[in-house]
Amino acid sequence: MNAPAISAEELSKAYQVKVRDPGLGGAVRALLRPRYREVRAVQDVTFRMERGEIVAFLGPNGAGKTTTLKMLTGLLYPTAGRAQVAGFTPWGGGPAFKRRIALVLGNRQQLAWDLPAEETFRLNRAIYDIAEGDYKARLTELVDLLDLGTVVDKPVRQLSLGERMKCELAAALLHRPDILFLDEPTLGLDVTAQEAIRRFLRAYRDRYGATILLTSHYMQDVTALASRVLIINRGRLLYDGGLDALIARIAHTKRLELVLSSHVTRDQLAGFGTVLELDFPNAVLEVPREHAAATSARLLAAITVADLSITDPPIEEIIQRAFALGGAEPVERTA
Amino acid sequence: MRAWLTRWGRRYGALMRNAWLVDLQYRAAIVLWVLWGVVEPAVALGIWWAIARAGPVGGYDRTDFARYFFALTLVNQLTLAWDSWYLDRWIREGELNFRLARPLHPAHEAVADNLAYKARTGAILLVVWLLVALVWPTVRLPVAPARWALTALAVVIAAAMRFFISFTTGLLAFWTTRATSIMELHAGLSLFLAGRIAPLALLPPAVASAAGYFWFPYMLAFPVDVLTGAAHGTATIVHGFVGQLVWLGLWIGMWWVAWRRGIKRYGAVGG
Repeated sequence: MNAPAISAEELSKAYQVKVRDPGLGGAVRALLRPRYREVRAVQDVTFRMERGEIVAFLGPNGAGKTTTLKMLTGLLYPTAGRAQVAGFTPWGGGPAFKRRIALVLGNRQQLAWDLPAEETFRLNRAIYDIAEGDYKARLTELVDLLDLGTVVDKPVRQLSLGERMKCELAAALLHRPDILFLDEPTLGLDVTAQEAIRRFLRAYRDRYGATILLTSHYMQDVTALASRVLIINRGRLLYDGGLDALIARIAHTKRLELVLSSHVTRDQLAGFGTVLELDFPNAVLEVPREHAAATSARLLAAITVADLSITDPPIEEIIQRAFALGGAEPVERTA
Repeated sequence: MRAWLTRWGRRYGALMRNAWLVDLQYRAAIVLWVLWGVVEPAVALGIWWAIARAGPVGGYDRTDFARYFFALTLVNQLTLAWDSWYLDRWIREGELNFRLARPLHPAHEAVADNLAYKARTGAILLVVWLLVALVWPTVRLPVAPARWALTALAVVIAAAMRFFISFTTGLLAFWTTRATSIMELHAGLSLFLAGRIAPLALLPPAVASAAGYFWFPYMLAFPVDVLTGAAHGTATIVHGFVGQLVWLGLWIGMWWVAWRRGIKRYGAVGG
């Protein structure tokens, strides 16, 4: 059996945070007798990823996603637990490990602000010992895939957010890493730029078999890229598995989206399920998942509809419900 | 060996190139930095020049003072290190993150940045010194290749010492938010104990003697004295170099310990 690209076993990280009471008295007391509180940012997180997988790491702000990413890239030393990334223990991996990975953090950029992105690319060429021929070929490929032709020679400070993120990705991938850690890679980008990044990541994975672990607040990133999601809240892993399985587990309802051919009242529709929306000709009903098919048949027999589709609740809603589990339940694994 | 040298030569070349490219974006800042480096010794020289009007002070006449402060200006710029301010920001604001993710210790970027700054500023100050020496013979130094070679060695060791002092102090940001304040305290002490406002020979004997127990004289006053010829005789020169090497070794040791322990405490703030 092949070793996994990434494995984490009971990975934990706790911080000591200084606490003080408000006001001058609190400040003086904190000076004379400092008090500390332990904050458990990540608790006993266990999962593994196979080569070529794209996994989305989801959780509300402060859930422990980025801390886990930073431990897996060797930036942070864990308080407890073990991890292996590309066969290395990340926090002792050294240069050989760092050549295998790429880390892109949403708001901490490696591009030199005052220089064209091309200068950072050249610097990375030297740092990663990339041969001139390989460098040129890879740069041409990245410029092409990310559509950076007119961008790389402009000072970074003059680029749009989307252009900067694309350049960040190019800088992080010049050494052709096989494991990518991406923290909010589409944060703040417009829809077109988000889609370009997603297309690129899919193409990069398909071409080089790369393993990608990404955090994102955009559900489109998750649905378009990830075959699997990890849901974390308050430092604990709540769910590890496919999106479909998560929907089946969390979403106990289905939605019937109707395009009506004639007017009906809200009361008439209420006989079939909970009316979420009625704005002629459109209507949305929520019905128990197991009754969706039968209710649809009854609806079609009773009311004239031009179109009817059965959908799951929006993924955002499902993820929110999963967050709300809040660590009360043990991790659910469906993978 | 050759491949190793080529690899590191290319890395340092790229890091220094980027440092110079950034400098070129801030040309006015370069002029201000050079002026900042010149003003303090120029003011000190002005004061001692006036005091020495009536005759030598502590064995220093006007010519000695002029040579001392010209040498001090050059040596100070060639050994200056401001890495504690960078480290403090990298650690507190999470800018260390991407540097830790690269297969290159962040100290190399700091060393290359120092080399780039020193090459540029040192060249400017040397030209200025030569131009001044053309019209003001007082600041001409004798052609003495052996002395210049010893000066070069003392300057290299002093620069390494000041780099490790600054870097190590910056690493205190792993533990405290006041790392730069500690460095400012160090700069304040070095005004007196390293010979920045007066040659150490003019300090009260107790202070000069106390300074000798610390690294301060070895990071600035000693290379200046080698350049001006105030430090002469084998015993004095050997004592100076031994002091430099001992303190350099100790600071490298402290840097190593601070890095190894600090990195385990790193909070990697920021996305």
